[in-house]
Amino acid sequence: MTTEELEQLLVQQPIALLHRLARGRVQRHFRAGKRRLIEVLLRHSAENRAGFESDLLTLIGERQTRPAPPPQQTPAARKPKPSAPPRRAPHKPVEPESQEPAITLSSWLEGLGVPPSKTFVPDAWQDDAIAKLREGDVVVSVPTGSGKTYVAVEAARRAIAENRTVIYTSPLKALSNTKYTEFSKIFGADQVGILTGDRRDNGQAPLLIMTTEILRNLLYDAGGGEIDVRLDTLGLVILDESQYIADPERGVVWEETIIFCPSQARLLLLSASIGNPHDIAEWLTSIRPTPCHLIRHSTRTVPLRAGYLHPNGKLTPLFRTVGIPHGHPGHLHPEAKRLFLQYEDETLPSGRRR
Amino acid sequence: MPPSIHPVDLIIALREKHLTPAIVFLTSRRACDEAMQAFDHSHILLPPSRQQAIATVLEKVIAQYPSIAEHPLIPTVQRIGVAAHHAGHLPSWKIAVEELMRHGCLDAVFATTTLAAGVDFPARTVIITQSSIRKSRDFMDLTIGEVQQIAGRAGRRGKDLVGFAIVTPSPYIDLNVLTKGFTGHPEAINSQFLISYPMVLNLLKAHPLDQIQPILAKSFAQFQLNQRAEVLERKLDDLRDQMEPFGPRVCTDWITEWQTFDQVRRQKSHRAPVRRHEPPEVAARFHFLTPGRVVGFARGRGVVLRQYRSKGQKSPMITALRQGGGITESPASTVTEVSDRILDCVDAPVYPWCTPESVEELLQHLEELPTRLPELPILIPKDNEPIPDAVVQTLGDFACPTCPSRSACQRDYPLASKLRQEQHRHLKSIQALRTSLWHRFQEKIDVLQQFGYLTPTAHLTEDGEWARLIRIDHSLLITELLRADAFNGADPAMLAAVMSSIAHDDDRPGAFPRVSSGLASLLGQVRKLAASLSPHEDPPLLRADIAAVTERWIGDPSLTWIGLCKNTTMAEGDIYRLLARTLEFLSQLHTLKGTHPGLADSASRAIAALRRGVLEELP
Repeated sequence: MTTEELEQLLVQQPIALLHRLARGRVQRHFRAGKRRLIEVLLRHSAENRAGFESDLLTLIGERQTRPAPPPQQTPAARKPKPSAPPRRAPHKPVEPESQEPAITLSSWLEGLGVPPSKTFVPDAWQDDAIAKLREGDVVVSVPTGSGKTYVAVEAARRAIAENRTVIYTSPLKALSNTKYTEFSKIFGADQVGILTGDRRDNGQAPLLIMTTEILRNLLYDAGGGEIDVRLDTLGLVILDESQYIADPERGVVWEETIIFCPSQARLLLLSASIGNPHDIAEWLTSIRPTPCHLIRHSTRTVPLRAGYLHPNGKLTPLFRTVGIPHGHPGHLHPEAKRLFLQYEDETLPSGRRR
Repeated sequence: MPPSIHPVDLIIALREKHLTPAIVFLTSRRACDEAMQAFDHSHILLPPSRQQAIATVLEKVIAQYPSIAEHPLIPTVQRIGVAAHHAGHLPSWKIAVEELMRHGCLDAVFATTTLAAGVDFPARTVIITQSSIRKSRDFMDLTIGEVQQIAGRAGRRGKDLVGFAIVTPSPYIDLNVLTKGFTGHPEAINSQFLISYPMVLNLLKAHPLDQIQPILAKSFAQFQLNQRAEVLERKLDDLRDQMEPFGPRVCTDWITEWQTFDQVRRQKSHRAPVRRHEPPEVAARFHFLTPGRVVGFARGRGVVLRQYRSKGQKSPMITALRQGGGITESPASTVTEVSDRILDCVDAPVYPWCTPESVEELLQHLEELPTRLPELPILIPKDNEPIPDAVVQTLGDFACPTCPSRSACQRDYPLASKLRQEQHRHLKSIQALRTSLWHRFQEKIDVLQQFGYLTPTAHLTEDGEWARLIRIDHSLLITELLRADAFNGADPAMLAAVMSSIAHDDDRPGAFPRVSSGLASLLGQVRKLAASLSPHEDPPLLRADIAAVTERWIGDPSLTWIGLCKNTTMAEGDIYRLLARTLEFLSQLHTLKGTHPGLADSASRAIAALRRGVLEELP
């Protein structure tokens, strides 16, 4: 989209969405008014237009899927004294948008169960990630348990079909071993090899699993021709759990691996949700021959609900809403709040009560 | 009410609401083990069909990993359908638990948070009992990313319609941390670009020195530093805009010109300062007017009894015993002469400020003094740094007083000079951000040159060629040990023992099995070397009990795994990890076959001896 279209789109959005968009991009965005915020965002978007637009569209998408809030009720704004014995349903001063009544336990537990088994249909972002890998490197940042492995498997399958070697790395030996078993089942034992600090099986297989340190060492030794793994046919390098790049001790290994990754190979970085995936994508674009695409979303495939279990066995929802109220840590369920205050009153030594 | 829910109640509650299978994250390994013990006498048994299913899966895993056949937790796992899973367990046990979870046999797993980052096994429900986590030695609040990583284990794709993350309070829980973690946006991650010695050697092996800087510039670290530099550059641009009206005037660099002029002008007016209280010579002398000092006044001599500052003016005063026995209070400035002589004088807190006897004595001494006394040489400090006379004299040369833009310069100078200072500061920081990585790299080069791994032209020396193959922590210590021939004649057990004490970085206390005397003296040498290298590399813990465990395992081939575990208080999983890490270190030594054949041979024999029992059966 052109800058004008983008500006139009931004003008149409509520200010809350703009603030969410600005988080991590613009400093002190909460100080700015709407017009100023749009101006700043546009200026910022010049650096990473693609990432910016995809974030914006995700946020708009999320907003549309959220149900419209029911009509407002009269606010009840009496604050209970924390020291007073808790009443059955204490009224809390709440922000205007959470006026809807808190949900009940039964509606919170609703939907619990096993989904009917159906043929697996990949999510749009999974297809998108695999398609984008044809054009260049891809960074995937999605919540835990969204199905990153599917992307890795499909991408590996395509590369192998083209007679390219694939390297898959994980930060831990235990994870490498698990993936080795898993991939051997999918691709067949002769197609998968593993290299770790003390294990070396089937080193000539088209799909090699290793820890990131081993790959780094391979890339260092490749210059001297001292290795028995062929890197010239390398078509794809998958770095799983790449949020490890921020690990204080080992993070540098991921950077070295990415810097020295052969230019003909595509990079696929799989990471849990992190705050600045656009930085990683931008970095890759700046150092790699092909541009890097960012695939990012924050909705979970299996929705998550938060609950509170009191030591006496009583279960209540943790938040007022069924799902997790993103951006509103204060929207606690009144019952959960009451029980937790009670718990603190009982466990904190007297005189230290809050 | 108990401080936290009892594990048995927890399982009952979860089963009742159909929230199983669940992963229960607990603060410590001990908490996990205690939770398992809580089920010893409980009667919330599984139906026989499910017990059977567990037994079938376990049988399959045991066939592959016989070491867990006797695992003490198996009965509880079978009866109740709960298990513990933490770093203190053997990997084979963890694999068994994961396998059981994957088959949906278990109702709950008690785990530490290390599980959240490690293996991949989801459940319907995640129970969170803590808001902080032990990192190195401190408890830190969970970050938003970590909370979401933990909560993210809830909800199995294809098996659950929704996942549940349930908080249950325990002492030291902070609900705010958790609610923020659930609802927040994960933190941005930052590069941690640690430049290590092997990295420097390997880079210099493949690339000449002048190509290194562009390579470092490709790092994520530099990318993020550049981002910060860009912010500063934007500020710099703003400053440049603000400086626009303060461009060249009559003179091109009017800010500096005015600054000098202004300074000189001020200094000039200070030439004859009005000193209200004390001229410098009085201030300098006052330090020496201590009790017992013989001083000269305009008329006669005296001995100082005390010095003080007057109450109102704070001007320096002295109390003196004058010739003839009078005691006077006078300003310090009345002293004309400070002699190089101190008489004995016993202080007293009240008038006459010394004991009566010493007054007598002082008087007597005072009379006996010769007429001429050497004077105390006192340096009188000059005024604080006056502008050199040369400049002051040229005040007449400044064009400013008659310059047409004088008033404008005078008006704008404070703002303009502030802006310019800011500009300079930003320029300096940008410079630092752009070059800091390179400087850190150069520091490492300097050390490596000093130790002789690199030539002065930054090429690898003979030692550097093999040292670059040691790519593990504490590489400098290990390569220096090799150069010192520390392992010459050491048997495989000793070599492995030293390597394991270098590899081990956990400070959990352990028991102290006996170390052989040869190993003890070798460890002593290693410690000495590590201490001498400490300016360049953090020394490892080098624990003797760790070395002893490895030495026993290699030295005694008949020792069983159980026997080894009985020798120490370390958890099985920790021993396993220690030995696995030692294997890794040894296999690095094994790569030095070309240059150190003896050592590589020793290492490979140690590897062969290490790899038996539990270590052999695991992948």
